[in-house]
Amino acid sequence: MAHAPEPAGQTHAADAVASVVGLKVHFESRAGRVHAVDGVNFDIRDGETLGLVGETGCGKTVTARSFLRLVPMPPGIHAGGSLYFHPHQRCSHCLGAGCAVCEGTGRLPVTCSACGGEGCRACGETGVKTIDLSTLPEKELRDIRGNRIAMIFQDPAKALNPAMTVRNQIAEVFYQHRTQEVLERARLGTRPNPLLRRHAAQRSRLIERALLALPPLRMQRKRVERVIDDMVASALAETQIPNPSKVMERYPHELSGGMKQRVMIAQALACNPDLLIADEPTTALDVTVQARIIELIKELQSRHKSAVLYISHDLSLVRRICNRVAVMYAGRIVEIGLTEEIFANPLHPYTRGLLAAIPGRSHDRGQLVAIKGTVLELIDPPPSCRFVERCSYAVAVCAEVDPELEDTHDGHGVACFIHNPPDMAVELPSFSKLTS
Amino acid sequence: MTATLDPPSAFGADIRGEVAISVRDLYKHFPIREGALQRVAGNIRAVDGVSFDIRRGETVGLVGESGCGKTTLGRCVSGLIDPTRGGVYFDLAARDQERLDSILAVPEPDRTEEMQRQLEQLDSDHRVDRLGKQKWLRYRRNCQVVFQDAFASLNPRHHVREIVGRPLKVHKEAFSAQLTERVVELLERVGMGRQHLYRYPHQFSGGQQQRLSIARALALDPELIVLDEPTSALDVSVQAQILNLLNELQQELHLTYLFITHDLSVIRHMADRVVVMYLGKVSEAGSTGDIFDDARHPYTHALLRASPDVDDDPGTAMVTLEGSVPDPALPPQGCRFHTRCPVATPACGWEVDDVVRWLEDEPGMFDALTDVTRRNAFTADLIFSDESSAAALATALGSEKMPLAARQALVDMKLEPTRVHIAFQPVSPVELTVRGPGHVAACVLDRMPELD
Amino acid sequence: MAVEPAVREPAVAFAGGLGIRLRRFGEISREVLRNPTTLIGLILIVGMIGMAVFAPLLIEPNTPNPNQMPRDWGALNEPPGTPGHVLGTTQQGGDVLYGVIWGARTSLRLSLIVVSLTVVIGLIVGSLAGFLGGRLDELLMRLVDVFLSIPELIFALAIAAVLGPSFGNIILALAAVFWVKYARIIRGQVIHIKQNEYVDAARVIGDSGFRIYMKDVLPNSITPVIVQATLDMGNVVLIGATLSFIGLAEAGLAEWGVLVSQGQAGISAGRWWASTFPGLMVFLWALAFNLVGDGLRDILDPRTESRR
Repeated sequence: MAHAPEPAGQTHAADAVASVVGLKVHFESRAGRVHAVDGVNFDIRDGETLGLVGETGCGKTVTARSFLRLVPMPPGIHAGGSLYFHPHQRCSHCLGAGCAVCEGTGRLPVTCSACGGEGCRACGETGVKTIDLSTLPEKELRDIRGNRIAMIFQDPAKALNPAMTVRNQIAEVFYQHRTQEVLERARLGTRPNPLLRRHAAQRSRLIERALLALPPLRMQRKRVERVIDDMVASALAETQIPNPSKVMERYPHELSGGMKQRVMIAQALACNPDLLIADEPTTALDVTVQARIIELIKELQSRHKSAVLYISHDLSLVRRICNRVAVMYAGRIVEIGLTEEIFANPLHPYTRGLLAAIPGRSHDRGQLVAIKGTVLELIDPPPSCRFVERCSYAVAVCAEVDPELEDTHDGHGVACFIHNPPDMAVELPSFSKLTS
Repeated sequence: MTATLDPPSAFGADIRGEVAISVRDLYKHFPIREGALQRVAGNIRAVDGVSFDIRRGETVGLVGESGCGKTTLGRCVSGLIDPTRGGVYFDLAARDQERLDSILAVPEPDRTEEMQRQLEQLDSDHRVDRLGKQKWLRYRRNCQVVFQDAFASLNPRHHVREIVGRPLKVHKEAFSAQLTERVVELLERVGMGRQHLYRYPHQFSGGQQQRLSIARALALDPELIVLDEPTSALDVSVQAQILNLLNELQQELHLTYLFITHDLSVIRHMADRVVVMYLGKVSEAGSTGDIFDDARHPYTHALLRASPDVDDDPGTAMVTLEGSVPDPALPPQGCRFHTRCPVATPACGWEVDDVVRWLEDEPGMFDALTDVTRRNAFTADLIFSDESSAAALATALGSEKMPLAARQALVDMKLEPTRVHIAFQPVSPVELTVRGPGHVAACVLDRMPELD
Repeated sequence: MAVEPAVREPAVAFAGGLGIRLRRFGEISREVLRNPTTLIGLILIVGMIGMAVFAPLLIEPNTPNPNQMPRDWGALNEPPGTPGHVLGTTQQGGDVLYGVIWGARTSLRLSLIVVSLTVVIGLIVGSLAGFLGGRLDELLMRLVDVFLSIPELIFALAIAAVLGPSFGNIILALAAVFWVKYARIIRGQVIHIKQNEYVDAARVIGDSGFRIYMKDVLPNSITPVIVQATLDMGNVVLIGATLSFIGLAEAGLAEWGVLVSQGQAGISAGRWWASTFPGLMVFLWALAFNLVGDGLRDILDPRTESRR
C-alpha cells in the first residue's frame, strides 16, 4: 500500500450536510486526561439516517453534543478536529412549504460565498456554504441551534421545562428563529413597531412589556400571539398528537412519556432543520410507545428530508431506522457502513461481539458470546489498538500499532488489521486464527 | 380463576414438578389520598387479581411494560410489601396445594368452619405475609432479590466483605475468619476475587456491581431468586456476561428464578415459562415457545412486533398501538386492552369511559361537556352545554370516528336537545381461558386474525 | 484456593478494614488542605480549643473558682501593655487576657454540651418520626413546627429569663431551642435514605428494623447533621454571648459575652479594651466554625465521595 489510505466514510461530498473530521474531545479529571472522543471521522449525508452505536463510555453522546457545543468546557477540552456543517436556507419559491424546486423539503443548499460555487478551501472544495461548528462564535451558533440543527434527548421529562406550558416551549423556537415570518403573518406590515419586533424576538424589556399591554399595541400583540398559536398547533399536529390545542395548554408533567417525546420532536422539527440529532430518544419509553415514536421519526424524516444522527446502544433498534451505521468503541469509530451490510457482514471483532451478545433466537441458553474483559480507561490510552485486550484474534502488531479507519469496499470502513493490513512485514491477524 | 401452568422444567429432573411459590388471587392496591384530611379518593390497582405457580428449578419470566404491575408483584412475592388481598404461598406440598385450591375455589361466605381453620393453618405456615418470626426468617433464607439498579442496592459506605457477608451475619451462620472465607467463595463463584474484599461499591463497574448483588443473594443458599430487571441498566455485552452467569448458577445450584423484565429478547433467552401482564392482570401465560410462536393475545402480539430482535427481518413493519392506556385507578370492566387493541370486537367491553376518553381528544367538544351521570359502567347520560355539541356526539357515535366494534356494541342511543343517552352491551370481566397445555390467555378471540 | 491460617485472619480482616478507613481519612485530609478557607478555620479552631484546654497552663487560674474573673483592686481600668496585664484590665480589675483565655474554656463547655444534647435529642425524635412514619411522624412534626415558629433568640431569652440568670440555665435554654433543627434535618434524610434500594436489600436479607437503621440509614443520613453541628458550635457561643450580654448570666463570670457587656460602659470614656478583645474572640470563634462547617459540607458531599 503505497498511498495514504482514504479515511472511510469521509467523502466531504457535496451531498453531505455535516462532516466530522478528526474530532477530539478530552476531559480533565483528577485521575488524568480522559480521551473520550479521540479522532472521529464521518459524514452525514443529506436526507440519510446515520446511526451512532456503542456502549457506555464509547463517546457517542459526547460526539453528538459537540455538534451544538453542549459539552461543558471545562472540564471538557476541544482537543482537535472540526465539525463542518453545510446549512441550508429556506426555499424562496415555496417559503418552506415544499415545491418542485426544493424537492418538497422546503430547503435549498447555499452556495459558498468565497468561491461562488466553484470550490475552494473555505468550503472544502464542495462549493456550498461551510461553517466549522467547533469555532463558530456563540452568537452565530445560537442561530443554528433549534433552527438548522435540532436535538432531541433521552429523557423527555428532563428535557422539557416543567414550569412552561407546551405552547410556550415550542413558541420559543419560533420567537428566536422565525421572527420575521411571525411578524409578516400577523400582518404587521413591512415596518412593524420596533416594540413588537422585539416582542416577537422575545427581547422585550420589562417596561416594554408594560407598554405592550396598552390598547393600540395590545391588539397587535394579540395578533402575534395568535400566529404563534397556529404555528405551534401545526407543529404539534405533525407529530400526530391528538387535540393539539388542548395539549398546548398543558404542562409537561401532565403528559405521558410518549406525548412528552412527541412534544420534544415537534419542537425540534418546528423550524425544519437540516440535521436532527436524536440522543437515545426512546430508551426511557415502553416498548410499544417506542415503536410509535420510531415510526414517527421515520415518517417525519421522509417528509422533511432532513438528515438524522441517531445515537443508540441498541443495535436491533438501529437496524430498523438507519440507512448507515457507525460503531464506536473507546472514543473511535471502529466500523461504518450500510446497515444491512454491517449486520450481514460485520468486519470488526467488536461489532461481531456486539451482535453475538444480543439474546436473539439463535442462541442456546447460557451460550451468549460475551466479550471478555471491560472497556479500558481512556486516560492516556496506549498506542495499540484499543480493543486488543478483549479481542480474540489479536496478534503482536495489534498491541503496538493503532489501526486507522479505512475503506474496504463500497463505503464499508473498518479499523482493524484483519481487513486493512499494515504496511509492515509482520504476522497478520485473521478470523481463522483464534488467539485467545 | 387460577392459571395453573404445567412444566416443562429444563433442570433438575428429581425436583421437577414441585411448586416453590403459589400466587393466589393477589391484589395490591395503593390508596390515592387527596385533600387536607388525606381522605382516600381511590385506589391505584397495581396488581388486580393474579394467580400463577413457580415450580422448582424453572425460570418464570414476568413481562410487561411500565405500569403493568410486574414490579409490584415481584415485591409481593419477595415479601417486601404485603398484598391487599390474596397471598403468596411458599413451599406447599402437593397435598396442601390441592387443599388450598379447593378451599379458595369456594367463595368466602360459603366456607365451613373446618375450611376456615385449615386455611388459617395453611396461611400461618406458608403465606408470606402471615408467617411467624421463625418461618419468616426461613423464608428470607430461601427467597432473595437482585435489584435493577445494582449500585443503589449496595450501601455506599460498606465494603464488599460487609455487603456480601451481611446475610451470613444476620442469620448467624458465620463470623470473622469463616465469614471472610465464605465471602471469598461467593465472590469467586460470580467471577470476582479475594482482592475485591475491601473495596467500595463506587469502585466497581456496573456489571461488577451486579455480580456483587448476585453474590449477596447467594450467600444463604436460597431456593428462589426474584430478579427485578437485573440487566436493564447494563450494556449489551455486560448483559451477556451476567445472563451467562445466571444460567450457570441456576444449573449448579438448582435455583428457581422469577425474572422480571420488559425486554422480550432476554425473556426468550432465559425463561421456561412466561407470564405477560397488562394493567394489573395476566393477559397471557404459557411456555416460552407458546408465547413467542403461538401468541393468542393481541397485546402479546403487539409486544412481539414492537421488540426489535436482531434476527428479525427488518422489513417487518412494527405494529404500533393507537389509543391510550386507561387510568389504573379506574380500569375497564371488560378487557383492559380494548382501548388500544387493533382487533377489538363488540364483546370486548366497550363502556362509557371510552366515549369520554374519545371526547377528551376532540377539540371543543370536551369543553362543552358539563356532566356525565352514570347508571353503571356501560350506561350513562352525557350532558352538554349546547345542542350542537350533543348533536355532534350523536352523529359521531354513528360514524367512522368511533371504532366499528364500539358502534356495534352500542345498544341504545337517544339524543335529547343537550343530553345524549348511551348504553353499551354489558360484559363480564374477561377471564383467562385455556388454549393449550399450560397456555392461557384472556381474550374473547380464539386467535389473532391475520393482519395484512 | 490457598487457605490462610485461621489465626491470622482476624488480624488481616481488621487491618484491611483499618487500612480502608485510614485511606479515607487521608483523602478527606487532603481535601481539607486543598481548601484555603477551611484550612484557616481549622487552624483557628485548633488554636482556640488549645487555648481552652490548656488554660490552666497558660495563665494562673483564679481561686476559689477559676471561672470567675479575678479582681485586682489595685489595677482598675489599666490599658493594654501594663506590666502583668497584657490586654489591660476591666472596671473590676479583672485581667482581660484572663477573660479571653478562660472565656474560651467556658465557650467550649457551652458549645460542646449544648450541641451534644441537641444532636442526641434531635436524632432520636427525627429518626423516630422519619423511620416509623405515620401518626407518630405527624405528631412529632407538629411539635417541631411549634418550636420552629418561635425565633431562636427570643425563645432562649424567655426560657433563661424564667429560669433565672445562670450559666446552667443558658445551656438549658439553648438546648431547648436548637434541638428542633436536628430533628427536622434527620427526619428528612431518613425519609430520603429509606427509599434507597440498599435498605430494601437489607430487609430482604432479613435484618431487623433497628439494625437496618443503625447500619444503613443512620450512617448515610448523618452528613448534614455533622455539618450543622459544626456550624452550631459557633452559633451557640454567639447566642450564648448575646444572652449573657443582656444579663442572663452571673456577673463576674469569665465569659466573653459578660465581659463585653461589662466593658460597655467604659467605651465612651475611651476604655475600648475590656469589650473589644472578648468581642473579637466571639467573632473569631463563630467565624472559625462556620468556615470549617462550610468546607465540611463540600468535602462530605456524596458526589465527591463517589468519584471513581
